[in-house]
Amino acid sequence: MSPSEIAGIFALTLKVALLAMALIAVPGVAAGYLLARARFPSLALVRTAVTLPLVLPPVAVGLFLLKVLSVRSPIGRATEALFGAPLLLTWWAAAIASAVMAFPLLVLGAEQAFAAVPRRLEDVAATLGLPPWRVFLRVTLPLASRGIAYGAVFAFARALGEFCATSIVAGRIPGRTETVALAIYGCIECFRERDALLLAGLATLVAFLLTAAAETWLRRRTA
Amino acid sequence: MISFDLRARYPGFRLEASAAWDVPAAALLGASGSGKTTILEALAGLRPEVGGRFGIGGEEIEGLPAARRRVGWVPQDASLFPHLTARGNVEFAGRSHASDAAIDALELAPLLDRRAPQLSGGERQRVAIARALAARPRLLLLDEPLASVDRPLRARIVPFLARIPRDLGVPTLLVTHDPHEAVALAQHAVVLDRGRVAAQGDPRGILASPAALGVLEALGAENLFEVRAVAQSPGVVSLETPRGGRLEMAAVAGFPAPSRVAVRAEDILLAGAEPGPVSAQNVIPGEVASLENLGDHVYVRLSTAADSWVAKVTARAVTKLGLAPGRRAWMLVKAHAVHAFGDTP
Repeated sequence: MSPSEIAGIFALTLKVALLAMALIAVPGVAAGYLLARARFPSLALVRTAVTLPLVLPPVAVGLFLLKVLSVRSPIGRATEALFGAPLLLTWWAAAIASAVMAFPLLVLGAEQAFAAVPRRLEDVAATLGLPPWRVFLRVTLPLASRGIAYGAVFAFARALGEFCATSIVAGRIPGRTETVALAIYGCIECFRERDALLLAGLATLVAFLLTAAAETWLRRRTA
Repeated sequence: MISFDLRARYPGFRLEASAAWDVPAAALLGASGSGKTTILEALAGLRPEVGGRFGIGGEEIEGLPAARRRVGWVPQDASLFPHLTARGNVEFAGRSHASDAAIDALELAPLLDRRAPQLSGGERQRVAIARALAARPRLLLLDEPLASVDRPLRARIVPFLARIPRDLGVPTLLVTHDPHEAVALAQHAVVLDRGRVAAQGDPRGILASPAALGVLEALGAENLFEVRAVAQSPGVVSLETPRGGRLEMAAVAGFPAPSRVAVRAEDILLAGAEPGPVSAQNVIPGEVASLENLGDHVYVRLSTAADSWVAKVTARAVTKLGLAPGRRAWMLVKAHAVHAFGDTP
């Protein structure tokens, strides 16, 4: 495997994971806030639904996504009309699959982070004349940001390594949808053990560096 | 004129309190669980379940959300925003003449660049007060501002609290369970007892009333004496009541010798015979005047050569000591159980 091929695989993987994070950032944080603060009878059901991708077999999630993104479904037809081509078997489909699998990790991290923000501080901010949305932006969100960031790091890592659901909706098309996880699997399938080990080793190195950088950054923010 | 009439029901607790005052500083007094903090939070707009009315200067504001009431609130723990510096906290509602004035009044300039977790308890309280003042409140609510501050430090913070209504023209409502603070800092006291207003008016007048034993019990000051200092030795001030009764009190750095002291009835130990050497600085002989049985405890009223006292003991102790009207008894009062009461710093 040539260095340019390896670079292309890693660049695509990063692009897929970043798009996945962009897709889930706002809804993930909002869902975390809702779960931490809202009180309604079916809250437990909502939490269960949000965490389903964590407990379901990834292949089942991939199958559901295949059905949802298929041109025979309303969503599939709508996205085809929007993008001018089907989403399936594109890197966008890989990003959507990664987003779905990473979503619960971000939501649970955000929920814990919001739950840990003392309500009293928000009350104080309200008595200082701030409307609720400004209290959220100036007190709640900054105080929850570290926990949200931790959730985002885990979600990003999950998106980087996502394999099963991605392979079902995006296939394994070299140069178009072949992320690191799919490329390693492809190498193993073709008995290219050396390439598989090389990719796995590089993936380990990248994962280590990213995690260490995130940890250092988060610790510095806390200090 | 500031007035409220609040109603709320909680499991095992009912709030029905109304009060009105027209002085710069008022105090809400009461024992733990009497409803002080609930009232304060309701006035701040943080307790939607509390019904009733609340008016400041003729305007009814009970229907307004907290953000539009312009009622400053300083919680007991100060609740500074930990992600901001002292300046960030004070200027949270925006930099203004009010925030600059609050920084000056509370002498915060040297602290402004420190983050909230790096401040001491007293500094945090001052920053929290300045933060509330910077939002230009028409009333400032202070929830036990001295509760988390060591006694020596209180003497430094009390002048800041006294300065708010006087120098900045912001009326204050102070919650406390310490009658000393109420008398020192307020011209009107509202005494709460289990969710109801037991008495209100001039703090000295209320607290000097001998009929207000229940109220004083709630405040923890059943024995009140006018005193004058007659001697001072390291750590101890010797006091004398107008009728010649002597009391030894622990001296507190920064506080002058008091002109009035209080001793909680439950802080008094009774002995049925003259005790030998004990650590208590006050051993006062007296005669039991009456016993007032209140079920789980008994108020023992005693007459000494100079003054009248009341001690609170268990029914078992009364039996054990054979206490009965006319019987001699000795009161043991630690110097630290004699509290200054009602002296303006």
